[in-house]
Amino acid sequence: MPVLEVDKVSMTFGQGELAVQALKPTTFSVEGGELAALLGPSGSGKSTLLLAISLILEPTTGRIAMDGREIYNDGPCGIDERAYRRQNIGFIFQQHNLIPFLTARENVALVMQINGVGRREAGRRARELLGYLEIAHRADSLPANLSGGEQQRVAIGRALANEPRLVLADEPTAALDTERGMKVMALLRKIARERQSAVITVTHDHRMIEGFDTVYHLDDGRLTKTTHADTH
Amino acid sequence: MDLALKDIRRHLGKFIATIAGVAMLLSIVLVMNGIYQGNIADGIWLIENTATDLWVVERGRGGPFNESSRMPLDSYKSIAATPGVARASPLVLYTAQREIGGSSQQFTVVGYDVFGGLGGPGRVVRGRVIAAPHYEMIADQKLGLEPGGGVTLGTHAYTVVGVTQGAVDSAGNPLVYLSLPDAQEVQFQQDNRALVAARAANLKRLERAGYSSEQATRLLPFLASNSDTVNAVLVRLAPGADGESVARHMRDWLYFNVYSTDEERRLMLEGRLSKMSAVLGLFRVLLVLVSIVIIALIVYVLTIEKIRSIATLKLIGAPNWVIVRLIMEQSLALTLASFAVAYGLRELIAPGFPRTLAFLAEETAATFAVMLAGGVLASLMAIWHALRTPPQLALGG
Repeated sequence: MPVLEVDKVSMTFGQGELAVQALKPTTFSVEGGELAALLGPSGSGKSTLLLAISLILEPTTGRIAMDGREIYNDGPCGIDERAYRRQNIGFIFQQHNLIPFLTARENVALVMQINGVGRREAGRRARELLGYLEIAHRADSLPANLSGGEQQRVAIGRALANEPRLVLADEPTAALDTERGMKVMALLRKIARERQSAVITVTHDHRMIEGFDTVYHLDDGRLTKTTHADTH
Repeated sequence: MDLALKDIRRHLGKFIATIAGVAMLLSIVLVMNGIYQGNIADGIWLIENTATDLWVVERGRGGPFNESSRMPLDSYKSIAATPGVARASPLVLYTAQREIGGSSQQFTVVGYDVFGGLGGPGRVVRGRVIAAPHYEMIADQKLGLEPGGGVTLGTHAYTVVGVTQGAVDSAGNPLVYLSLPDAQEVQFQQDNRALVAARAANLKRLERAGYSSEQATRLLPFLASNSDTVNAVLVRLAPGADGESVARHMRDWLYFNVYSTDEERRLMLEGRLSKMSAVLGLFRVLLVLVSIVIIALIVYVLTIEKIRSIATLKLIGAPNWVIVRLIMEQSLALTLASFAVAYGLRELIAPGFPRTLAFLAEETAATFAVMLAGGVLASLMAIWHALRTPPQLALGG
């Protein structure tokens, strides 16, 4: 069973003559352990699709299911959208977006605590997760004292804190050099494989395309599945 | 995880500097409260601390504090004979300025009957009360005098026999108590050469008016100012006497104005003190408003600085209470800590403040409540802004 099913999801902003269809009816699915790339020029609807999947923006039409459970079907299915996000989705941002006044460990533990994990247990698991990401030695550092690559690892740790079924990454390598970008891609692949999470990555970075299992292309709100050869 | 505390700990220097700034402003609010109440307390101190039932003053006058009142000295005898009066004592009050302790100091002289009369100092903190009919005085400690010290008033040297604490006139100047004849003498006594010059001028004026030298000499005493006057007569009622009917009797038959202590207090509050109280009250309200606005702005700015973190929290699914707690806790910490420091500053400032500061616990509590409400209101505004922040703000490059 796919982790995420997106069926004819569309997004229209505005009404009447001013209506703009940012996302045309889109259908795709992502399996556990799959690493999918979402390519497309600026304004093509990539971020809109991520916002729709995470229910930050309500789709205009369509159906979304997570692990077979319907969470949206032409309207909300009575779920708490924030609880849905913190329990099912991990976010990785281009600018890392770590809370600046929390240490690396606290940034990771916070997400667990928000999800109901006790303080001590959250701290232990955060340290363990940072160890998995090979950054345990910087656990007590503030984001401002970490390099870009280290910050991105902490951000990945935070995204994995609640063991989400789906990881949404918005240009996670854009702010990194090639070497660090490759390492982050390898890490995302490892996460997808080892944890059987589905990973969808929005990227402009053609250097990284080789590492993805599936590549989608969004152009003018229309999603198409492409092969690796098509992207070069 | 207490995000507010974590943020404060990471930006401790900035937070302390903010608290120091707000605390200084709040301490001005608290001191202004003290000045406001101190102004009222000073204004009515003499009225409240003169153990009398009625104040008898010159007909048609609102004296002896709001306007001058002059009555013949022996008027107190006819007042004492009024039915219902247990005791009547003359009182002299006037403001003077003399060199004391190396500086020019303003004070109010209270002349009273030192042998059992009303109007004397209530409590002498050091020394004793006046026991001799002449040349002894009691001064408030604000003048910096001690028992045994001496002051020259007019042509005589007066010995300080006692010191009071907090005895002030309506302007906050210290009181000096003298015996009635001494007070009158100090008020009307003139320099000998000035007296001779005035006498010669009066004689010349009478002669120019056509009087003979002999006639002019005989008329001269009538031109001299009469120093045998008092400003008020204090009345203690006999047990069971009705103050209102005693006062009416004096108004109708003796042609004086009579005020109860309550009426005298009201005259003071609605007269001399009203404008100053209004000005101080206005300043106080403005300061409170400015403080609330500043606290609101600081809380708002503290929130705006964290708006991207707040958007991230919303994006990763943090419930609203996490954000509300973050903002509310910081706002309350700022308000409470600032008020506590301001209270400490007030306690440091008060002893050396040049005017009387009177602090009412309920007023301090009310100021605290207003500030707290302001802080809560500010945090509600910040919370409203934070909760409207779209989570997708976290996605922006």
